[in-house]
Amino acid sequence: MRRAPLRYLGTYLILALGAAVAIVPFLYTISVSLMNLTEATGGAWLPSTPQWSNYARAWNEANFSLYAWNSVRIVAITITGEVVFCTLAAYAFARMEFWGKNLLFSLLLATLMLPEAVTWVPNFITVAWLGRIGPVPWINNWPALTIPFMASAFAIFLLRQFFMQVPNDLWDSAQIDGAGHVRYLLQIVLPLSRAAVMTLILFGFIGSWNALAWPILVTTTPDWRPISYGLLAFLDEAGAIFNLQMAGAVITMLPIVVLYFFTQRTFIEGISTTGLKG
Amino acid sequence: MTNAVSTDVTQNVKQTASVGRAVHRSSRGARNRRLREALLAYAFLLPAFVIVGLFGLFPLIFAAYQSTLRGINRIVGTFDGLGNYVRAVDVLTYVLGFWGAVILIWLALRGIRRGQQAAAAAQEPFAIWSAPGVALGASLLFALTWIIRMLPLLLAIPDQMRGARNTPEEFRRLLGEALADPNALQALFGTLAALTLGIVLAVLVQRALDRRGQRGNYMSPFVSATAMIGLAALLLVMTWNELQKQIAEAEATSAGLDIWSQIVMISAGFVLMALSWWLWSSASHRSSNASTFLRLGGAAALLVGAWLLIAELPRAIGAGDPVWWYGLLATFYYSMGTIPPQLIVALVLAVLLFQDIKGRTFFRMVYFLPYIAPFVGTAAVFKIIFSSRPEAPVNAILGFFGLPSQLWLNDPRGIFNLLIPSADFPVWAAGPSLALVVIMIFGVWTFFGFNTVVFLAGLGNIPRELYDAAAIDGAGRWPQFRHITLPLLSPTLYFLTLYSVIGTFKAFNHIYVLRTGAALGTTDTASVVIFQAFKRDTRIGYASALAILLLLVIIVLTIVNNRVAAKRVHYG
Repeated sequence: MRRAPLRYLGTYLILALGAAVAIVPFLYTISVSLMNLTEATGGAWLPSTPQWSNYARAWNEANFSLYAWNSVRIVAITITGEVVFCTLAAYAFARMEFWGKNLLFSLLLATLMLPEAVTWVPNFITVAWLGRIGPVPWINNWPALTIPFMASAFAIFLLRQFFMQVPNDLWDSAQIDGAGHVRYLLQIVLPLSRAAVMTLILFGFIGSWNALAWPILVTTTPDWRPISYGLLAFLDEAGAIFNLQMAGAVITMLPIVVLYFFTQRTFIEGISTTGLKG
Repeated sequence: MTNAVSTDVTQNVKQTASVGRAVHRSSRGARNRRLREALLAYAFLLPAFVIVGLFGLFPLIFAAYQSTLRGINRIVGTFDGLGNYVRAVDVLTYVLGFWGAVILIWLALRGIRRGQQAAAAAQEPFAIWSAPGVALGASLLFALTWIIRMLPLLLAIPDQMRGARNTPEEFRRLLGEALADPNALQALFGTLAALTLGIVLAVLVQRALDRRGQRGNYMSPFVSATAMIGLAALLLVMTWNELQKQIAEAEATSAGLDIWSQIVMISAGFVLMALSWWLWSSASHRSSNASTFLRLGGAAALLVGAWLLIAELPRAIGAGDPVWWYGLLATFYYSMGTIPPQLIVALVLAVLLFQDIKGRTFFRMVYFLPYIAPFVGTAAVFKIIFSSRPEAPVNAILGFFGLPSQLWLNDPRGIFNLLIPSADFPVWAAGPSLALVVIMIFGVWTFFGFNTVVFLAGLGNIPRELYDAAAIDGAGRWPQFRHITLPLLSPTLYFLTLYSVIGTFKAFNHIYVLRTGAALGTTDTASVVIFQAFKRDTRIGYASALAILLLLVIIVLTIVNNRVAAKRVHYG
């Protein structure tokens, strides 16, 4: 059943309009980031000659080398912890029997409803306390920025959904071969759930890269300030120097957008499958 | 069960004729295996639950505790009861406290009644479970007391470890001292005693019933009922103390006391509203005469209830914290202004994309881009696009059509006042400020792609045969959409609505980035108000109280959303 081309034309027009709305702000960002200051504040749409030096200036003035390095470190630590801890917990919920399973699982899901705003005050105090009594300070340091995010209900739920899809026969044959839970998890379940772990890593990466409220609360010095907060601070300091602001924005967005282009299929599928089963 | 142990056991059974002993052995083996598996599972769960418990669950108790402290700029403040709540919402505190306790007690009783009905249906004893249940529930309450008594002691430790005394030995000594505090110890012993008693009783009851061959376990309604009634009692006592304080104050200043009348009137207003909703919804099951009557009654209750609320609430609101009330109003605007547009746009795009067309992956990828891009960056672009300078893109486009430039993110005026300049609306009726509208546009732009992707997944779950059958019956595209797509998409729609409602009430990051001083706080939603109370004003107790109030609002919205959806969602 092929429809008249005219009908498709209407469809394409609306879809293209949507795409334009989605992408124009990004194009405008790039455009402004390449303008000189007069063009940027004067309301030009395109730069007359691209000023590539804007990027170098923004990079140096905003101290992005430090912030980017901070974010990379934070992301690496958080994701390592998250993958290990959440895999273990998700496996227990998916494949093991123990007393209190439903209670613990519903407690876990209950944390999803708690607004971030409720946790700010208590978590700040907890983190400050742990830093004061422990061997390393937490505020202005990596523990406050990473450890609270190493286990999340969302990640455990996502992995559990995937682990539950691993066929039961595999467990039976693994047991006959003398494998226990640990070996089964490492050698069979994890390799089969590579897509889920990839999705988790992507979500973790984006979450850490974009985080703002919590880093503002727990960093008072630039030593461990992540890139989003760095950009915000730069936006305030740079005033109305729009071209440099936009160059900073491009620098911040680029890693995420590149990562997204390479992994978008996994990512979107991860969202559609997990989102709906909630 | 085809595992090695049970095969082994089966052979045992065959070889030795003593069947009974073998079965006994197999059950013991199974029990050991189950125990080992459970222990391994707990070990697997431990790290994740330490983190989730400390940073995801414990904050709720901690925030509730903090909200009763006067703490300004200090970690440990003095106890202030519900004072922070009174500062935020004034008389509504008492209404909330009282009705919150009533709802808790009602939930407790309902849980017990349901358990009773289930037990009666299965012809199993029920009341006997109350003994271990109440003991375990009491142990939960004791544990809560212990946590609350320990918290200030633990929080004070770092202050005592300053300077040269900051050593691990000193910490261990202070921790020991805190643990040995008589008040805390009392609560700890209470917890342990109640816990032991509960476990012993539970085992005894289970054994006694096992012998009679009855296996049902009805302990949990009693556990939760005890805990809820305990919390309700606490809430009532705190509400009462706060009322006493207000009354004493009013007497001291010999001011007129209208708290009581206000409490009664506001409560009556809410009760009448609930009653009218109940009458209205029960009318649909009745015959036409009765239903007309019920609907009339419902309408009358609604009118009277609304009148009471309209007469009384503004006074209560006026006495509360205007910043907080405006924050809630802004959150409401933001929610109403972003969710319907983004769902409609996403639905249209998803339905169009879900055809046999080229470039589907490309469109999907582009729509999703705003959702994943760092919002500090995208918000910065929007700040420039919607800048108040006449040369800024949006103002330039307006100018091209001969329209005047707008202040956009710097404009605190409500849009109704802007659209109809002659009418001078009061703050609460003027609608969201123009600045907030820009933030709404940003919100829709950020999230429509996410919604489109989820809708696409939902569309993919609808069987194709339904459309083929409808096409054979001669149904056009619109009837197909109306009678197949929409009903079968309702679970997705429900999920997205709930997700967006909770999301908009939690929203913080982009609103914080897009707020300007010139907008005079009209863009500060509830989360931003809480953040400012904490970070800028360091009013720790007050910020906690506001956060708890926000949580209450979210819980109520979730329940209402579930109720409404339960009737409409079609799980095909």
